[in-house]
Amino acid sequence: MGNFLTPVFAVMLQAADGSRLAEMKEGIAHPDLSKFLVIGALLFIIGVAGVLTRRNIIVIFMSIELIMNAANLNFIAFSRYLQDTGNLNAVAGQVFTVFIIVVAAAEAAIGLGIVIALYRNKETIWIDEIDLLKW
Amino acid sequence: MVLSGWEALFFWIFAFTALIAGLLTVLARNAVHSALFLISSLVSVAALFILLGAEFIAGVQILVYVGGVMVLFLFVIMLVNVSAEERGSELIFNSRAQVTVTLLFSALLAFGFVFAINHGVQSLYKRDSALIAQVAEQRQKQQQNLQVGATGTTRLTKDTERIGSSLYRYASLPFEIASLLLLVAIIGSVMLARTLKQEAAADDVDTQLLESKPEG
Repeated sequence: MGNFLTPVFAVMLQAADGSRLAEMKEGIAHPDLSKFLVIGALLFIIGVAGVLTRRNIIVIFMSIELIMNAANLNFIAFSRYLQDTGNLNAVAGQVFTVFIIVVAAAEAAIGLGIVIALYRNKETIWIDEIDLLKW
Repeated sequence: MVLSGWEALFFWIFAFTALIAGLLTVLARNAVHSALFLISSLVSVAALFILLGAEFIAGVQILVYVGGVMVLFLFVIMLVNVSAEERGSELIFNSRAQVTVTLLFSALLAFGFVFAINHGVQSLYKRDSALIAQVAEQRQKQQQNLQVGATGTTRLTKDTERIGSSLYRYASLPFEIASLLLLVAIIGSVMLARTLKQEAAADDVDTQLLESKPEG
């Protein structure tokens, strides 16, 4: 179901990326920024779909890790673009990525601690069975 | 950076692997399979980082993200998920309506993102085309001036050096705050995962006092 969407988007990427025409007109080689950004966006969307559809709470956490990873890819692609357009020593995107990885690790630790505490009390990992606060 | 030849091939291989592994993470029935697919996705994205010239971040991703966070996930899956498997075939997705709405929303987001990215990047290229041409030769020279590695096939990049000096000079305050965050995470996760007996032993109180009694 979702497996045919990915090649479709890849083809869209190539076709809609009119930068090749611009390159041929001006004779400059443009950096391939859009390819990396689109891959990041698609990973992000897969992560969001995972958070919204799965019942297993641990798989939801893993989809959140996918989302943060996609944001990392975005940052690093732009950091490289900064290096390609002037500031040869620009590492701002990479420094921010370090912080995102730190926050992701801290959040995974606490989140999984909560999952363990929850499992001890309710013996379940399916999120629709955790509905004490539901009205 | 222009992808050409081998770099373009590697980009497509790792990009497809990352996307398909991400998709299978969300679609797998078994949580351990999900975790392993996520590890594949993270490693593919680390390879994409290397293509973009961020070697240090690629190493950090594999050591910390894959080697730390995903191993933690696997431990917790083993602690928590095993009995769920024995229940037989559980539903893994939410209700049909929810899944349909999510798919619609994802499709809209995807088309929106791809269009917006291509459109936005065109304007970026238009604005920066002069700079790109200028910097290309500078970058080439800089690459040639790097030291050659021990095997003679690659050059020793200064990526780690730049990130290190940036972290310790310009980003030193966020660095310290990040270490504080990690301290809080360590203390918090130890506290959250304690059993009743361990909590009682820590404060030397009776376990009866710690058990929460429901009101009414």
